[in-house]
Amino acid sequence: MKEVMAFIRTNKVNRTKEALANAGFPAFSCRPCLGRGKKSLDASILNYIMETGDLPVTQVGEAFTETARLIPKRFFTLVVEDDQVDLAVKTIIKVNQTGNPGDGKIFILPIDETYKVRTGENTL
Amino acid sequence: MLLIRAIIRPERTGIVLSELLAAGFPAVTKMDVYGRGKQKGIVIGDVQYDEIPKEMLLIVVNDEDKDDVVKVIMRNARTGEKGNYGDGRIFISPVIDAYTISTGKQGL
Repeated sequence: MKEVMAFIRTNKVNRTKEALANAGFPAFSCRPCLGRGKKSLDASILNYIMETGDLPVTQVGEAFTETARLIPKRFFTLVVEDDQVDLAVKTIIKVNQTGNPGDGKIFILPIDETYKVRTGENTL
Repeated sequence: MLLIRAIIRPERTGIVLSELLAAGFPAVTKMDVYGRGKQKGIVIGDVQYDEIPKEMLLIVVNDEDKDDVVKVIMRNARTGEKGNYGDGRIFISPVIDAYTISTGKQGL
């Protein structure tokens, strides 16, 4: 079993929940958190603003905010069988990818044992 | 890759976060947690306070950076010279894989 830890944008939560349910992952838990990433300034964002003249708002603007600021994110955890990890990761990436920095991260952690509280069985 | 979970005093997170940034580890996640430690919380008279507010920092680093991050957290989260009960704990667990959603690439 593996634990899939995903940090995603708060405005993508509903779509992620729906996509995960459709892909066969109804069970998950999520909670709000604050975070910051590597925030290396991408030249393409700078070009985008120079060319279009758009003000750095929303997602693009996140790259320009000061590095120390923490941005609200949603922290998803789901525990899946080994062969389902790829599907879960692909589902999350597909729904959350906008191509801008700040889309989030996914980490895969090993899980040794799980127990059901209701029955005491140690199966997923 | 390793996941570092540090549960520290809320009033120390500010300094820990800025020192981590200065040490070259900008990426971090913070969340509020409540818990108790080996001292069974704080006992004052007959009253036991066992849900003490703390803040948890989650940092995923490459294996070779682990010691540096732990040292930075340890140095800045500790209160006083020798430290006190309630300064927190650091847990380290393995991470198999990491993906960046914006690019879809594997790796930190």
